[in-house]
Amino acid sequence: MISLQNIQKVYRTSTIETLALNSINLNIKKGEFLSVMGPSGCGKSTLLNIMGLLDAPSKGDINIDDQKLNNLSDKQLAQFRNKKLGFIFQSYHLINDLKVLDNVMLPLLYRNSSEKERKQSASEALGKVGLSNRVKHFPTQLSGGQKQRVAIARAIVGKPEIILADEPTGNLDSAMGNEVMDILLHLNKSEGTTIVMVTHDEHMAKKTHRLMRLFDGSQVQ
Amino acid sequence: MFRHLFKLIWNKKKQNFLLISEMFVSFLVIFAVFTLLVYYYQNYRTPMGIDYENVWVVNYTNSYKTENTDSLAQFYETLRQTVKSLPQVEEISFSSENFPFSMSTDGDGLVYNKSREQVDVFNVEDSYKDVLKIKVLDGRWFASQDAVAKERPVIINETLKKKLFGNENPVGKLVRFDYDEKTKVKVIGVVEDAKVKGDYVKVDPGSFVRLDTGSFHQLGNILIRISPDADASFEGHLYKTISNYMKNSNIEIEHLVNKRKDINYFSLVPMIVLSIVAGFLVVNVAFGLFGVLWYNINKRRGEIGLRRAIGASGKSVSVQLVSESMILATLSLIIGSFFAVQFPLLNVFDLPAGVYITAIVLSVIFIYLLVFICSLYPGKQAASIYPAVALHEE
Ligand SMILES: Nc1ncnc2c1ncn2[C@@H]1O[C@H](COP(=O)(O)OP(=O)(O)O)[C@@H](O)[C@H]1O
Ligand SMILES: [Mg+2]
Repeated sequence: MISLQNIQKVYRTSTIETLALNSINLNIKKGEFLSVMGPSGCGKSTLLNIMGLLDAPSKGDINIDDQKLNNLSDKQLAQFRNKKLGFIFQSYHLINDLKVLDNVMLPLLYRNSSEKERKQSASEALGKVGLSNRVKHFPTQLSGGQKQRVAIARAIVGKPEIILADEPTGNLDSAMGNEVMDILLHLNKSEGTTIVMVTHDEHMAKKTHRLMRLFDGSQVQ
Repeated sequence: MFRHLFKLIWNKKKQNFLLISEMFVSFLVIFAVFTLLVYYYQNYRTPMGIDYENVWVVNYTNSYKTENTDSLAQFYETLRQTVKSLPQVEEISFSSENFPFSMSTDGDGLVYNKSREQVDVFNVEDSYKDVLKIKVLDGRWFASQDAVAKERPVIINETLKKKLFGNENPVGKLVRFDYDEKTKVKVIGVVEDAKVKGDYVKVDPGSFVRLDTGSFHQLGNILIRISPDADASFEGHLYKTISNYMKNSNIEIEHLVNKRKDINYFSLVPMIVLSIVAGFLVVNVAFGLFGVLWYNINKRRGEIGLRRAIGASGKSVSVQLVSESMILATLSLIIGSFFAVQFPLLNVFDLPAGVYITAIVLSVIFIYLLVFICSLYPGKQAASIYPAVALHEE
């Protein structure tokens, strides 16, 4: 499903060069749930961003669904992200000026779909994360766990094959964190969604199919 | 997408209120400037109505001290013959103070039936028409037979005709001036409007009254139409001729061409001042807008990163931000236009409705352009935000 070959990422600022990722080789099968662990600053987010086509590697190839993605235009990349990928972030990244339903509808705005279809799909997605009764709320009126569930609904509303989650439970207490984790596990099991999740929680990582450890930009396990 | 942007704007109405007010105020200021500009332009486009180019005006102080009207008339008749006999002089006419571009006016009320109009009154001689090449549209100009006419004749301009008589033919109608309510005067002709107050000033209702030989003691100006080949040496000669004749009198010769420039300058100055003030305001507003949009975009980096992640291309992000500004502009322009159309509806300044409408259209285009240009760069900048970086920041 996802294949990374010899990925290297160097960040250059005027003063320093950071080697954020160093020759990463990774194959993720369809339907797999992979967790990524490692100390802060070791390159976990960088890895996820490269897989999510939000950032280009300095070297190496990415293939998703047997499609080589190195030379796509900005617009093609955007379309690819919209159709194939769902993102979940530690800090939710909800738009506070939009109601929950409108937040969830957001990815569908960048596709051909009618307002009715969008509402329908968004309601369904909110149902899956157990938030059907919060549709008309604004994000600021929700708890952290609820916010993250809205973000999950937004990630799955477009029925992507892959979900990339960067510390989705990082800002949540263990009860809410477990709730979110359960939703992801269920999604993986029932819909076969491929999931890559960065986490600091060994306990959660154990629930996934495979664990990858990073240290200083290199794969150690 | 449009609906989405509208929701976004609506939910942020508090923040957007300031921006909308700013655009609204600039619209009104621009509307005022354009109204004046359009009005001036419209006046500028109307024909001058007189031929002033080879006309000089001699201003003199009346130095011939006598109580005897006849000898005074004789004195000035001789002057007229002397000047007129110069080969470069084509026509000559004594005139009241308010000759074209003189910046002086003489007014009165003119009454026809029940209606009354405030009018300019020009005291002129029969030759005035030929000096300035005034066009008679209806009836006739003054002639010597008017000296013995039963009713004193008066000639009116087109504007006055329209205001006082509408579609009626005014020739032959009896009217009264306020200053002499008992005496009827008779309209004998209609002449073309002349922009005697300069190119940019609307023609006021005007009336012409014939000077009689008894009025020389109140005159101080001679209009002279000279042939095109008359030069500075002729001007010197003319000056000498007149001052030799009128010893002890202060003589001044001016060209109507220059008088026109002077009077135009007078009406342009407020226009220029207003334009400069408005220009400063617009620059301020432009910077303000630019700043606010810039600030908003930086405040929304997270949102922009997210949109990029879920499928927005860089271009669609910048299109979105520019569209948001344009929607805000549209809202302020709707409110602004609502206020602006009150001016023609309530006829606040007695300007033609067309002037206001044109000004509204121009101001709308102007504000749209201004907002578009101000949001283009911030929008472009937003498109170039790296999604990974923006998402990382929060
Ligand atoms: N945009 C960037 N510019 C420069 N350096 C960066 C940038 N993003 C990340 N880095 C650096 O790359 C390394 C890996 O960062 P990151 O992938 O965010 O780590 P993690 O998510 O594992 O905490 C860190 O040293 C970080 O400082
Ligand atoms: Mg990270």
